[in-house]
Amino acid sequence: MKKKIFAIALSLMMVLALCTACGNSGTAGSVSGSADSSAAAPTDGGKNPASMKTFTVGFDAEYPPFGYKDDNGDYTGFDLELAQAVCEKEGWELKKNPIDWDSKDMELNSGSIDCIWNGFTINGREDDYTWSVPYCDNSQVVVVPKDSGIKKLSDLKGKIVGVQTASAAYDVLTNKDQQKKLGDSFAELQQFGDYNTAFTELQAGSLDALAIDIGVANYQLKQRGDGFVKLDEALNSEQYGVGFKKGNTKLRDVINKDLKELKEDGTVDQLAQKYDIADMICL
Amino acid sequence: MSLATMIAQMGDGMLKSVSIFLWTLVLSLPLGLIISFGRMSKNRVLRGIVTFYISVMRGTPLMLQLLVVYFGPYYLFNANIGAYRYGAIIFGFVFNYAAYFAEIFRSGIQSMPKGQYEAADVLGYSRKQAFIKIILPQVMKRILPPVTNETITLVKDTSLAYALAYAEMFSIAKQIAAAQTTFTPLIVAALFYYIFNYLVAWVMAFIEKKLNYYN
Repeated sequence: MKKKIFAIALSLMMVLALCTACGNSGTAGSVSGSADSSAAAPTDGGKNPASMKTFTVGFDAEYPPFGYKDDNGDYTGFDLELAQAVCEKEGWELKKNPIDWDSKDMELNSGSIDCIWNGFTINGREDDYTWSVPYCDNSQVVVVPKDSGIKKLSDLKGKIVGVQTASAAYDVLTNKDQQKKLGDSFAELQQFGDYNTAFTELQAGSLDALAIDIGVANYQLKQRGDGFVKLDEALNSEQYGVGFKKGNTKLRDVINKDLKELKEDGTVDQLAQKYDIADMICL
Repeated sequence: MSLATMIAQMGDGMLKSVSIFLWTLVLSLPLGLIISFGRMSKNRVLRGIVTFYISVMRGTPLMLQLLVVYFGPYYLFNANIGAYRYGAIIFGFVFNYAAYFAEIFRSGIQSMPKGQYEAADVLGYSRKQAFIKIILPQVMKRILPPVTNETITLVKDTSLAYALAYAEMFSIAKQIAAAQTTFTPLIVAALFYYIFNYLVAWVMAFIEKKLNYYN
């Protein structure tokens, strides 16, 4: 009996090992596959923009003012309206596809979205995507409750600081070329899913500070009144771009051209005014 | 934003949650019965495969299974999965829940005393007739409470579809909560799940009472 159980356990483990082996070779294959396609960009750079009918934008629908649900229940935001303007130029139909931010690479690589256009930080991800021109200056800032006594970045030593999962703020605080030293001085760097819970945790005292994008910080501070303040010192400065699947230069070139034209005819500035981020535009 | 608009916006998501729920229930119950036959099969190979399938389905998180079902075809065969989101969700849910239902069916079927088969045999029933006419109706009665349990869990599990960015009710609640910087939508969501499950429990209790014709 014991022998039998042992045999079954062993065979189970073998099957599992096999599965993981397949999984590994699968990812390895896809990595080399995307490398190939970037080498052969002219022939295998995704869909041909000229024959495209729809343009699917992947975005985090919990990321105001760049992408969110407005009072009428429609998805809107600076980035989505800009994408809409591009689509009108090209005669495409815009498909707004909210994604789970943690799965953005899988969504992009598998082709269920054409690009990630949602306050997407270029810095530190230069080699992971094919990027459009930067269109927006951004910085990572720290938000604290008003009466916390935290005035500058060095006050954060020994505190619990929150960042969004897989966000640029997290990268900044863990990259040794940037603010890893500061990040290491925290008692804890806590990752959360969305800003709503994070701000509530901040209010409730389970977080001491939040490291977030300045555009998002401004929106939240405006909405939530004066319980919070933004530190004057920023963690870094960086830029937003539209991220395409590595090697998809054809589509990228079309978007670049359109962004330039939209800047020239004033559409970009008009939208920036509307969403209160006029001082961030860098086209 | 007023509460009425909030609920109106979440209504669309509620329909999507309900559709996941209904499809999963309708497809996974019969599938579960078939799988339970495999689980009790005399054929060792078939039994082994089914047992392994059930242990994987029960032993890994549903959220992970959904990700594998959706993104798997791309990573394995480089297939385009653009239009496959909803299908992947239903697939993932059905195959997961069928595994649980299979074990519930098995417990029901194996709890029937052997004497009933023997008595049926003496009365001239074939094995198949005995199962369909005598055993299965009793099994249905016995397994209702655990099936109710699973059904209620299923209502709440529909929120896992957010992992595939499907705009069911809970994803929409979270999006509204983010844009309006309030937790009210989550309270609405809680009420929705509670009322839905209250109805499910009520319907199941009603069926149980209907089937309880010998007492």
